Amino acid sequence: MGTATPDESEREPAYERAAQKAIRDPEIAYRFAFYMVTAFFLVTTLFPFYWLLVLAVTPNDAIANMGILPKFITANGIDPSLFNPEVFLTVFEVVPFHTYVLNSLVLALMTTVIVLVIASLAGYVFGRLTFPGRGPLMLLILAISYFPPAAFLLPLFRLFTGNVDIFGLSSPTIFNTPWSMVLPFSALFLPLSIFILTTFYGQIPDGLEDAARIEGTTRLGALFRVIIPLSAPGVATAGVLTFISVYNEFFFSFLMSDGQVPRLLTNFFANQNHWSPIVKGILGYQGQYAQFYNLMAAASIVGVLPVVILVVIAQEKIVSGLTAGALKE
Amino acid sequence: MATDTQLRDDAPGGKSGITVHAVRWVENLSETQFAYLLLVPTVLILGVIAFWPLLSTFEMSLRADALIGAKPIGEYVGIKNYVDLLTGKRNAALTRPFMPGLSVDGQFPFLHVAGGTLFKSAITVTLIFTIVSVFFETIIGFGQALVLDQDFRGRRWVRVAIIIPWAVPVVIQGMIFFLLFQPGIGFLVEPLQQIGLFSSTPLINSVDSMIIVIVADIWKTSAFMALIILAGLQSVDRSLYDVAKVAGASKWQQFKLITFPIILPTILVAMLFRTIGAMRVFGIIETVSSCSTVPSLSCLVVTTFSQRRYGTAAAIAFLTALLIAIVVSVYIWKFNDEGGV
Repeated sequence: MGTATPDESEREPAYERAAQKAIRDPEIAYRFAFYMVTAFFLVTTLFPFYWLLVLAVTPNDAIANMGILPKFITANGIDPSLFNPEVFLTVFEVVPFHTYVLNSLVLALMTTVIVLVIASLAGYVFGRLTFPGRGPLMLLILAISYFPPAAFLLPLFRLFTGNVDIFGLSSPTIFNTPWSMVLPFSALFLPLSIFILTTFYGQIPDGLEDAARIEGTTRLGALFRVIIPLSAPGVATAGVLTFISVYNEFFFSFLMSDGQVPRLLTNFFANQNHWSPIVKGILGYQGQYAQFYNLMAAASIVGVLPVVILVVIAQEKIVSGLTAGALKE
Repeated sequence: MATDTQLRDDAPGGKSGITVHAVRWVENLSETQFAYLLLVPTVLILGVIAFWPLLSTFEMSLRADALIGAKPIGEYVGIKNYVDLLTGKRNAALTRPFMPGLSVDGQFPFLHVAGGTLFKSAITVTLIFTIVSVFFETIIGFGQALVLDQDFRGRRWVRVAIIIPWAVPVVIQGMIFFLLFQPGIGFLVEPLQQIGLFSSTPLINSVDSMIIVIVADIWKTSAFMALIILAGLQSVDRSLYDVAKVAGASKWQQFKLITFPIILPTILVAMLFRTIGAMRVFGIIETVSSCSTVPSLSCLVVTTFSQRRYGTAAAIAFLTALLIAIVVSVYIWKFNDEGGV
């Protein structure tokens, strides 16, 4: 911007001069208000994370009537006895939290792959083909999001525990396998990806696909070698959003797992792994270790890290995806 | 023919004739048939994991609860579960009432909610939560979108900071607000008690917990509103502002006459998505407080389910979807009124 912002480090008269200038030129007042509002949003969104960090590094017996500053900063300087960074090791010793996080990441990755493959086909159909029943089908897929997850829970629970008869055979028991969560997640987040990819695929000029077909490429060949590579940004967006949504999901993660994980990471792919995700890991601290607030805070920080890294890397994709998915619907 | 050459390329090393046959079969389908073929996986997974459970739940909601006996579900009773829930007859059997105690008389506002049931029954709890949180999320999200729409140094990092709460897992969001409002830990509870806003045990008091859950929801999902509204802001034609400047319009006039009318449909879409989400609230309540303190509709389905009252639980789930459908239609009706896309 051409106009200078008032410099707060200057002395009293300068402040008055700035005020005078601001009255003459509303642009300065506007800039000032803008920075105040931005600062307000930064403080409100980031303060909870700062609070987690303060609680985590404070020894648990010292957590009581905390101030805004961490306790190890005292009037007489730093008190190292009140600074406990080892909590980030202890947190993995009391509960195998790394296994829960790893389970969540694997579940999110599996769901993302399934959703992207299925939604790529469906997005191509809705975005590029005309056929009878297109409108009603899209509406039907959207209508799934009206129902609370609870409306799916009872039958799915019976299905996954082997209590539903299909043509005289009982359904396979997949409770305590990744599928009891990956399947509901896939169905739950599939509609969003379909809508995002429909918009992206719809934007590719018909000429490109026609050219590939005239060259002799098959229909599926054109889809996988021309359309999908051209809409790579859309596929990436749908992937990032699905991954984050699954990692954040609460309802099925909470109710479709029994909370068990192996104590040792070497048993990750063995039967002892009941695939309980991060939800159960965090809640694990609430039961047995209910008074260990520092552990709860440290575990929360560890659990947030994977998505923070993802958001920093993929922020542009997230913004463009929500744009495409929400507006073109 | 060119197609034949390509077919050989597709199946290198003389793959079995089946592949070639399959490819040729796909090539010869009409566009409609091809469309339906590609939709098979979608229909399969949504059919088994979404539509079949919904039908099954609906069937269950027409049956009585079977608390004793070998069978998990009782005989067919038609819409009795729905009628009993809506008239409040079923309230006594639930952990928390479904309907608030209502009475009608000649005094304004004619419909009265019995004292004490407002924050304890599922319908009112869900509606209060939805209206208050969506209202604040829209305003704050709008503000955040306006900030992110500006060009300034460090915009990238401000954007990350504003998005991050949205990406935080619900269970960790719950843990954060539990740790912020647990008495004895933090500095927040005591001042709020002194000004008389909170009781001594905010996390097990219905009104206090409702406030905390709403604040937690606003913290996390304002960013979602911001991202959608930002998308709308960025689609506004910049030359409109140049014209307005030449015409001597102030910033406020530019906002009121250009920005706001153009993005109003986007704001309504964002509010619609958020409303659907808010009416299904469950996770944040379960982690910050408990389902018996703030009994939302989703909470009530889960607690009724764990009481083994399957018929009633299914009926509540469908009434929730019905309520969401009603609210969605109000939005769509309003949306058409505003002349949206």
